[in-house]
Amino acid sequence: MISRKFLFSRLSLILAVFVLFSVAAPAQTFDAVKKQVRTHMLSNGMKFIVLERHDAPVAAFHVYADVGSANESYGITGISHILEHMAFKGTTTVGTKDFAAESKVLDELDAAYTEMRQEETRVNPDQAKLAQLKAKFTDLEKKAKDFVINNEYFDMMMREGDAGVNAYTSNDATQYINYLPSNRLEFWMAMTSDRFLNPIFREFFKERDVIQEERRLGVETQPTGKLMEDFMAVAFKAHPYHHEVVGHMSDLQAITRKDVEDYFKKFYSPSNLTVGIVGDVKAAEVFKLAETYFSRVPSGPRPEPVRTKEPEQWGERRVAVSAKSQPFLLIGYHVPDARNKDSRAIEALANILGQGRSSRLYTTLVKDKKIAAMVQAMSGFPSDKFPNLFAVIAMPAAGKTAAECQAAIEEELEKIKKDAVTEDELTKFKRSTIKSALAQLRSNPNMAALLTYADVVLGDYGKAFDQIDEIKALTAEDIKRVANQYLVKTNRTIGEIVTEK
Amino acid sequence: MRKQITAKKVFSGLLLLALIFGASYAQKNPKDKFVFGPLNPIKMPKVEKAELPNGLKLLLVEDPEFPTIDIYAMVRTGSVFEPASKIGLAAITGSVMRTGGTKTKTGDQIDKELDTLAATVSTSIGPTSGTISVSVLKEDFDKALGILADILTDPAFPQDKIDLAKVQQKTSVSRRNDNVGGIASREFSKLIYGKDSPYARHTEYASIEAIARQDLVDFYNAYFYPNNTSMAVWGDFKTKDMIVKLAAALGKWKKGKASAEPWPKVVAEDKYTVNFVDKPDVNQSNIMLGHLGGLMNNPDLPALDIMNQILSFERMFKRIRTDEGLAYSVWGAYGAGYIYPGAFSCGAQTKSQSTMYAIEIMLKEIKRIMEQEVSDEELAKAKDGYLNSYVFNFESKSQVLNRMLTYAYYGYPLDFTEKQKAGVEKVTKADVLRVAKKYLKPDKVHILVVGKKADFDKPLSTLGSVNVIDVAIPAPKQK
Repeated sequence: MISRKFLFSRLSLILAVFVLFSVAAPAQTFDAVKKQVRTHMLSNGMKFIVLERHDAPVAAFHVYADVGSANESYGITGISHILEHMAFKGTTTVGTKDFAAESKVLDELDAAYTEMRQEETRVNPDQAKLAQLKAKFTDLEKKAKDFVINNEYFDMMMREGDAGVNAYTSNDATQYINYLPSNRLEFWMAMTSDRFLNPIFREFFKERDVIQEERRLGVETQPTGKLMEDFMAVAFKAHPYHHEVVGHMSDLQAITRKDVEDYFKKFYSPSNLTVGIVGDVKAAEVFKLAETYFSRVPSGPRPEPVRTKEPEQWGERRVAVSAKSQPFLLIGYHVPDARNKDSRAIEALANILGQGRSSRLYTTLVKDKKIAAMVQAMSGFPSDKFPNLFAVIAMPAAGKTAAECQAAIEEELEKIKKDAVTEDELTKFKRSTIKSALAQLRSNPNMAALLTYADVVLGDYGKAFDQIDEIKALTAEDIKRVANQYLVKTNRTIGEIVTEK
Repeated sequence: MRKQITAKKVFSGLLLLALIFGASYAQKNPKDKFVFGPLNPIKMPKVEKAELPNGLKLLLVEDPEFPTIDIYAMVRTGSVFEPASKIGLAAITGSVMRTGGTKTKTGDQIDKELDTLAATVSTSIGPTSGTISVSVLKEDFDKALGILADILTDPAFPQDKIDLAKVQQKTSVSRRNDNVGGIASREFSKLIYGKDSPYARHTEYASIEAIARQDLVDFYNAYFYPNNTSMAVWGDFKTKDMIVKLAAALGKWKKGKASAEPWPKVVAEDKYTVNFVDKPDVNQSNIMLGHLGGLMNNPDLPALDIMNQILSFERMFKRIRTDEGLAYSVWGAYGAGYIYPGAFSCGAQTKSQSTMYAIEIMLKEIKRIMEQEVSDEELAKAKDGYLNSYVFNFESKSQVLNRMLTYAYYGYPLDFTEKQKAGVEKVTKADVLRVAKKYLKPDKVHILVVGKKADFDKPLSTLGSVNVIDVAIPAPKQK
């Protein structure tokens, strides 16, 4: 809700020592920070990761649920994100004036919805009956609303000074964040354990409407949003990166509260949750309180991993979105997931090709040829727990075309496949990676996010630091090899916005 | 204090009991009473002030725990001072100062040098200030400072980088109607401040075309002087040494005529108008409505801040988003600016079919907060939220330092944040009602809708006679 800029936080002594040697010997010093991290696993499988930083009396909290839109199947696309919204609707005690009475009305409301929906979806609905069912539904919705304390979860957190209460859903994960004065540690434990122990998905149908507005805002009224949706659907024909995180409109209009409850049961068992806490706290106290508050969450089976894998691509794919917009180009090549040993070299390739003012694509397309106003390369697109894309995006300059940009990009890709990158370029990548890793360490919320991500996606929080070793060891030859292996025509999808007159 | 310690002891006792008898004894429910121990104290940085012989004002903070050095400086200038026929001049000057390099090094050479060091040096000019920033590892500071000094004293403004900046500006012009939100905020500003106001007007192909190299040189010469600049420096250094270093490197930056050019006045008057931008290819309306706001030095600002929180979250968000499910993002807040009035604005994006309904609720909520006092609960929540999150104003030394620089630049007391807090502590329900009545004018709002009118729930003309805004982009001159 409240966004703040974390320009420069102070660092603990250990971090300072580590930075002194950052350029000369990053590996040993990243190790020093790594050693400051403490973890604790509850018997129900929920893991807590703590990094103490006593610079300011605040603490960042990050709950990482290992579930995102990639876990969804047809009919329930967007449900991970719906669940994220519903997790703000309170519990059996938060957000309600009388849960016992409310609960009955909520059940009646669900039944009324099902009845209404069944009539509505008949080939020939009985209009009179449908009107009656709609009236009944609306009436029950009003009745249920009378029990609700509007946004009480938000109110309670913000009132205690939460400067970062929010949540995000991606293809891979659903993440819940708080940023509190550090003496609110136990309050957070009480609120958050309650949140995952006794959630009540009240005001469901209105929130579904809100999410439909979110989809209109982010996808349907945005030419680039439309391109992204269609591009992913073409680049991934089987793997669920195929659909947008927000989901299809028809699913958003049909998903039920029961669907969300089932999804919660399946994916929110403690073994699927990892918590990162970074700031002015004591690890021992955090773990003690975690035992007290979270060990009561019953354990459940770990959800089955995503089954569908993206098969090998048989030829170049193309997609065009027609919109009242200037042209836009997006090219994506399939590459492996973040745990694959090639991933660091692919990151280097993206950096050298298309990140920063002296990168190859920027130099050629923007500075020299002046055919693009912006061009950028990235890896891990749209996310990286599963095999994903190495992507290049370009915004043609006024009067220039996507085709001109594509030709110039291809030329640069061929060059990098033929001649290895220079030592200067490699140094630039290594130093800039280290510098951004350091920037990450300055911020409590960023560190909480990084530690949980590394632990879940890379399999160990320590990988957040160890990756520096892999980066240090990269050679120009590695980068040339991955360029030749993955930047292949038959392995790519080309998407563009075509200007509608 | 004593009470808190006792509570803490009792609590650890309970924990012990819990360990012996099982965890359930120590759990609190979210709505139980929590007694919070004292927060560890906020660490206020020691800020040193200095002025170089050439008039450059410095604010310095030693932060030895991290071997980096950062500079953030503000130069008294702004795009509000550029001529109306050359809109875009300030932005292009700010960018080409850096991208164009100096007389001894091209911009591309500087790009490469800095990228290889993983350092940044950048310059830009916004509406009411020019900014300079440097971020570098301590060991590379001298190199970066050398580059900065050359850029500030000896920018080359080569034609090819001016052309490049013009291409980019023209590309922005060509793309400005691609995004509905962009159309709404641009046209809203023009409604509030007047379409020719320096605070709202924007670039066109013609205004970019009219800019010549000499204009950049003149603009730079008019404003970029050390005695026109305040600079914050923080990182791993000794203040004394740093001042000597800066004096040596930036000593060649010659003193000039200090700019005392007054900020342009806002001459617009609030008026009730209904405005529409036709966007038949979207299924959601982008709505903004509001009028002129005020200045930050207004003694009523603390009460206005509390009113904003209540109007925006308690009223608009809870009603329009949560109760009605009409929008994902929704707000209503009275804006205050440092040197020119901000804008009071409400906004939401809702499906075409609920456009008028959403506008009606917004207007109703503005009127409601002007008619009756907010509840005790609403006031308490807003004040507690502000005061309990106050600590986040002091997360880092650099955050405090940069805030002070901004206050100094705009002529505000350096402890403005602290003073605001003291003001918020005293705000009452009567204050909230008083400022709502005094500053909100629902009968003088400009209403703007960007959307597809065929699908609106009621015609927009229900609200009054509709002014249709043509957003077609004037074509560039054919060569």
